[in-house]
Amino acid sequence: MHDFNLAVILQNPEFRAMLIAGAELTLVVAVLSWLLAMLLALVLLTVRLLPSTLAQRAVAAYVSYHRNVPTLVQLMLWYFGISNLLPQGLQDWLNDHDAEAIFAVIALGLCQAAYFSEDMRSGLRAIPPGQIEAARALGHSYVGAMRYVILPQAIRNAIPALVNHTVSLFKNSSLAMAIGVAEMTHMVREVESRSFRTFEVYTVATVFYLVFSLLLMGAGALLARQYRAAAAR
Amino acid sequence: MLDIAHILRDNWLLLLIGQYPYGPLGGIAATLILSVLGISLAFPLSVALALARLSPWAWLRWPVTGLVYGLRGVPLLLIILWTYFLLPVLIGQTVSGFTTMICTLVVYEACYLSEVVRAGIQALPKGQSEAARSLGHGYVRSLRYVILPQALYNMLPSMLSQFITTIQDTTLGYVINVQELTFAANQINNQLLTQPFQVFFILAVTYFVVCFTLTSLAHLLERRVARRRLGGVAALAPEIVDGVVMPAIRSEVP
Amino acid sequence: MIRFAEVNKWYGAYHALRDINAEVRKGEVVVVCGPSGSGKSTLIRTVNRLEEIKSGQLLFDGHDIQSRSNSSAELNRLRSRIGFVFQSFNLFPHLSVLDNITLSPVRIRGEKRAVARQKAMALLDRVGLANKATAYPAQLSGGQQQRVAIARALAMEPPAMLFDEPTSALDPEMVGEVLAVMRGLADDGMTMMCVTHEMGFARDVADRVWFMDEGRILETATPEDFFTAPQHPRARRFLSDLRAH
Repeated sequence: MHDFNLAVILQNPEFRAMLIAGAELTLVVAVLSWLLAMLLALVLLTVRLLPSTLAQRAVAAYVSYHRNVPTLVQLMLWYFGISNLLPQGLQDWLNDHDAEAIFAVIALGLCQAAYFSEDMRSGLRAIPPGQIEAARALGHSYVGAMRYVILPQAIRNAIPALVNHTVSLFKNSSLAMAIGVAEMTHMVREVESRSFRTFEVYTVATVFYLVFSLLLMGAGALLARQYRAAAAR
Repeated sequence: MLDIAHILRDNWLLLLIGQYPYGPLGGIAATLILSVLGISLAFPLSVALALARLSPWAWLRWPVTGLVYGLRGVPLLLIILWTYFLLPVLIGQTVSGFTTMICTLVVYEACYLSEVVRAGIQALPKGQSEAARSLGHGYVRSLRYVILPQALYNMLPSMLSQFITTIQDTTLGYVINVQELTFAANQINNQLLTQPFQVFFILAVTYFVVCFTLTSLAHLLERRVARRRLGGVAALAPEIVDGVVMPAIRSEVP
Repeated sequence: MIRFAEVNKWYGAYHALRDINAEVRKGEVVVVCGPSGSGKSTLIRTVNRLEEIKSGQLLFDGHDIQSRSNSSAELNRLRSRIGFVFQSFNLFPHLSVLDNITLSPVRIRGEKRAVARQKAMALLDRVGLANKATAYPAQLSGGQQQRVAIARALAMEPPAMLFDEPTSALDPEMVGEVLAVMRGLADDGMTMMCVTHEMGFARDVADRVWFMDEGRILETATPEDFFTAPQHPRARRFLSDLRAH
């Protein structure tokens, strides 16, 4: 094995710029799809709480689709498939404005929304029924009971799962390279093909992903611990 | 709709078995072989890793814990690239994409699976191992005849879930030109060029059908395991979310 | 204060409450006892409409609480005037003891937080837990949690309190502290309806005992009459079973 020399990669301005650009795009895609996923998950949860069976089935179908179809295939379906169905004007506009990244954000966001909504729903279901009874017995309205008693507990219950799925979302951003998004993993291959320093480049990427994943997991552990005093009865 | 039927009619063989016999085995067959091989080889490794993490020796526990946490923090795609690069270097000859995928899947899935196994072992009441040891069974014996059989049975639904995840992970082979189902679909798309939505729709539906069936099976298994064990000694099997043990909270959507 | 008139309830085909006619007068302490499955818990839960009745009338302080024509605001208002203590305490785990008690006065009755805090501290003092104001439920023992639950119910200043087997989930050594609080409430003239197995409490504190079996109130009597000379054969069997172990 040849000598390990990180400097070749890190001190070369071209390579450095490429890797930084990749890192930035990874973070942008991850953050945007996280926001989309969270928002959509709240919508899904609200719809799920409606008393209509149609609503329940619709949400269940949505979750089922996104959990059973591989994320890579979902990305492809959006970028190659659905984009083709759009009106030509919209397609042109998209092609001028980073279509790949937009579709990646949409696909990843929609996919993770399914997981987030299930996590929140599980968080809700973990609350003992006595809680809502106690709240109603004290005279709180349904909305009041939800706001002061149920939802705060649901969120606390859901935090470990939400954090884990956030880390998954972050890692899934790497799949976007398959549809041409110039994120970190894509850039890694580019730099590798130009520098032939595979080991070093891969190491840089690995460190990047590890650092952020561990940061996220650490933040999650902190959050969970802060709420543990208030957690289980 | 008619387009989809035509595409299926013209390409079903490619989707099913790839370019065999004019090329390597591909399509769904390759996907399933990759998944089954991957998970079955990963299984013994996962038990070993789980036992290592539960062992009383720090020199064994810490590296394994580091490995498991480390692999969980890196995207599978990057790990595949690593393996594709390292394997030829280590064994001195070129390696096919297929072999790379198998090796990666075995190690990757074993890490996640080891969390499942570990959770299963820890969920058993302490009384089980205590009873086994009091009867005079050694550590290995009590593991083999008392602890593992129960833990693994309880965790069957979660292990099946991990198998489903493995099937989904095989799609990443596309990036290193492994000829599995996603690769086959892309081949078809590159030929047709005019009906990408239909092609990828077929791809999505195929995976959905396979995974949904297996997930429903996992749910059935779960109910059966719970029923069988409710009167017995096992505690409620904890849920695994992406390889992390969760408190007893469960989603019912397959 | 609480009046049952021809109250009936079915769970599907199962007749859970049969022709209940009874009254808890203002300032009275009524203990409801009987074998398990007799409908005692169901009965007390109908009073604040945690369970609904199928026929008959249930009046609380003159208001028909079970009427379907009550608006939700009406129902909430009525409920806030009935204190309910659960067998499983049901404290809110994400709030401190003090917040558990002040949440409802502040959010429902619009009390100022500082005032609510003061009143809460006084209540905690009354139940003997003033030093636990900033603790969380998970850090308290069962007996302590139940006493906080009682304080939480009292914070709404209800004219009546309902207790659904308040000590059944407690270890024996903690039962006494909760019963002591309930005894104090009774001495202060609170209208109370208690479902309990604690016969000592019934004998010392209750004004009347209702014996239930199979959904019916079979006997109502003063504690002395009930414990020394029960009339109904099933009541006699129940008491002798109790004494046997």
